[in-house]
Amino acid sequence: MADRLANRIKERRVELGLTQAELAERVGVTRKTVNTVENSVFTPSATLAIKLAAALGLSVEQLFWIER
Amino acid sequence: MTQRTIAEKADHLSRRRARMLPMLAVFYLIQQTTYFRSTANPHPRDVDYVWIGAWVVLSLLILAGLTTKGFWLQQREVRDLIDDESSRANRLEGLRLGFIVAVLTAVALYLVDEFSPMTAREAIHVILSLGLGAALLRFGMLERRAHRPG
Repeated sequence: MADRLANRIKERRVELGLTQAELAERVGVTRKTVNTVENSVFTPSATLAIKLAAALGLSVEQLFWIER
Repeated sequence: MTQRTIAEKADHLSRRRARMLPMLAVFYLIQQTTYFRSTANPHPRDVDYVWIGAWVVLSLLILAGLTTKGFWLQQREVRDLIDDESSRANRLEGLRLGFIVAVLTAVALYLVDEFSPMTAREAIHVILSLGLGAALLRFGMLERRAHRPG
């Protein structure tokens, strides 16, 4: 079975009181992209993963992990 | 009137595109029946040339829309934002499927031609229409799915 990139973006975003649109604006993408990454529909590039982690105040490893 | 931010405008246009693309793909594919109706007529009317011209223009517009950021009349910041990495990935996936469909259609027509000969013009029309239509439909479906809340 293929590995799946899981994340805690939604959990952390809600903790910080951010909407998808606000997070998207912070990292310079559309709300749609945040939505697809959050729902594990789209696997982000390393650049976007780093930007998301920085915007949410976590390391990339804390924000993303591989589910087998 | 409230002034929309670039992000809001990009989101609005992106949603609109996601709604419109599958409809445009279906319209484009249905339009092909007109072409074959007009070429079946040994004495084409002026209106048939208009339909063929419309198909060529629409095909080129779809190709341009699929290979560029689109939204040519919008400001650069909005266009850059709409074309973020998930849009680029969806577009590439659409083009990948369009290419596969075009190649398979060409192979199928090559075999069909053995039993039912067709003109090069007809073959090109079918390959181009199915390839572009499949790419457009796939891109549109992926964009719709991307906007759906989880």
